[in-house]
Amino acid sequence: MAEGGTESVPAIDAATPRWATLAEGVLRFLLPVLIAFLVGALLLLVIGENPVSVYQLMLSEGFGSERRFAATLSAATPLLFTAVATAICFRSGVFNVGVDGAFVLGGLGAAVVGYTLPLAFGWMVAPLAIMTAMLIAAFWLWVPGVLLAKLDVDEVVSTLMLNFVALGLAGFLVNSVFLSATSGNNTTETIHDVAELSRLLPPSTLHSGFLLGLLCVFGYALWTHRTPQGFEAALVGFNSRFARSVGISVPATIILVMVISGLVSGAGGASHALGQVHKFSDGFSAGYGFTGMAIALLARNSAIGILFGAILFGALASAGTTVQLFSDIPLDIVNVIEGTVMIFAVVELGKLTLWRRVNR
Amino acid sequence: MSTLIEQVLASTLILTTPILLAAIGGLVNRQGGIVNIALEAKMLAGAFVAVVVSAATGSWFLAVVSAALFASVIGLIFSFSVTRARANMIISGLGFNVLIAGLLGFVLSRFYGTSGTLRLPDVQLLPKVLPEGVSAIPIVGDALAALDPLTLFAWLSVAALPFLLANTRIGLRLRAAGNAEQVVRAVGLREKSIQDFGTVFAGFFSGLAGAHLALYSIGLFNEGLTAGRGFIALAAFYFARNRPVQTALACLLFGFLDASQIRLQTAGFPPKLMGTLPYIVVIISLCAASWNMKRKARA
Repeated sequence: MAEGGTESVPAIDAATPRWATLAEGVLRFLLPVLIAFLVGALLLLVIGENPVSVYQLMLSEGFGSERRFAATLSAATPLLFTAVATAICFRSGVFNVGVDGAFVLGGLGAAVVGYTLPLAFGWMVAPLAIMTAMLIAAFWLWVPGVLLAKLDVDEVVSTLMLNFVALGLAGFLVNSVFLSATSGNNTTETIHDVAELSRLLPPSTLHSGFLLGLLCVFGYALWTHRTPQGFEAALVGFNSRFARSVGISVPATIILVMVISGLVSGAGGASHALGQVHKFSDGFSAGYGFTGMAIALLARNSAIGILFGAILFGALASAGTTVQLFSDIPLDIVNVIEGTVMIFAVVELGKLTLWRRVNR
Repeated sequence: MSTLIEQVLASTLILTTPILLAAIGGLVNRQGGIVNIALEAKMLAGAFVAVVVSAATGSWFLAVVSAALFASVIGLIFSFSVTRARANMIISGLGFNVLIAGLLGFVLSRFYGTSGTLRLPDVQLLPKVLPEGVSAIPIVGDALAALDPLTLFAWLSVAALPFLLANTRIGLRLRAAGNAEQVVRAVGLREKSIQDFGTVFAGFFSGLAGAHLALYSIGLFNEGLTAGRGFIALAAFYFARNRPVQTALACLLFGFLDASQIRLQTAGFPPKLMGTLPYIVVIISLCAASWNMKRKARA
């Protein structure tokens, strides 16, 4: 477990005025983004493109019309889940990097329920699929949670490794037991029509999973600010020795946040499977867990920051695709920006010391 | 005619090399107190540079050296983000993995007009160290014939590393920086520069690992070339708790799993499931180690 957690706790830090905390949060959100866009601009200059016009194009492709905005929200949907799932752990100083694996296994579970349950279940199929996904993913992250809480097994390594196990396991299952009889390789059957989450703005792929994602963000905000457990979980991240001495069970908190993280990841996988792709196939998660991590870091675990971060990265992903189509700019620029954001979200720019004098 | 055992032995040796090189870098880095999650990215960058330089110059040696140097530079930047700008090393490492993969993909599609795979003419592959005649030797013959300079270098490094870490000035300082940062500072050494050295070292070795992947036999670059080997290397030195020889043995085990995968597949073992074994082994070994510590603490 990380010492001291990753974040300060606004509610505890009563001496600082509210507006100052807010301003700092906004600045800490914008600065890494700004730097990342500068790095992207540099890259564009190197290849002889005009960064301003490329970013303008991206802006209009991301937000320009109702349809484009819907595409952005659609791309933001899985990120809402993965960012909340990450933030809830980071907030307690638990370095869970295993959201991606939980998301994938949840998605597989939801897809399998979505096509195997008899049609007689009717509208019940979708909720059952989502619940299955949540349970699978919660169990998946419960394991490293228990290992950390009871045996002090480094959660970074265990969750990182479990991602690969999840991918291998899902890859195996989708090529054997759950392999579609009709469509060849690496994919399950398509889910029943009744299991599909409804589309919100028909030509676009925006589906009701987005609303579920918003609900998760809202629930997370409530949990962090309005419940005793949420407060205790923040204390564990803030100062685990203090938390222990005031009678909070640190191991129980670790397991709790890991399980909640799993539930949210699973719901995200289910939303993606039932709302977006309507089946499970290899390459189900395009690194959503890691983008979610970047968002949680940018947002410093705040719910409102997660909302904006998810929309930002959703816009990048959806605009990046069309920009690649219309101009000759590879979609990979989105990864460049995302990676830079992750790095600069954790870099402490104010404390940059390139040289320290040492008396010999 | 070589037997099955001879073939498996030879391919185990060769498939171990990239994992081993990266793991050597990673373990030195971790002894200095930095967990390097960005090994994967540096391997990938090394592989790319190796293919490009080998095609341009026709020299495998220049290719290998450039790959190592390029990856060292990435290592230095990563190191600065951690030691000077106090970034969380895990997040920064993951960020570098995303960033480097993105940059390589960008360069690939923009400058080479391909997505995913880069084939260049006249890529010079790694030579063999021993003459072909050695394959006549029973059992180890195939492995000896397959031996390339980087594999040799990797195993020589494993042999030298325990001595270097225990008996040289830089080795001791590195371990001190990892174990007692404040003491290092108190005796007037620059602990951050020492840690930077460790990360550059890790970059150098992961660059070599990437070069081996690209130039041993396939002679091309692919975005999925490393296929998680940087993380398997991480698994290896975590498993062996940073001890060089044990790390090498863990790498051999993972190399053997890799080599036997194709054969196990025909015997009915699913390859994807087999591929998860290194990761499961690490989790189990971490649990066992913690369990042991707890038991000892209680006794």
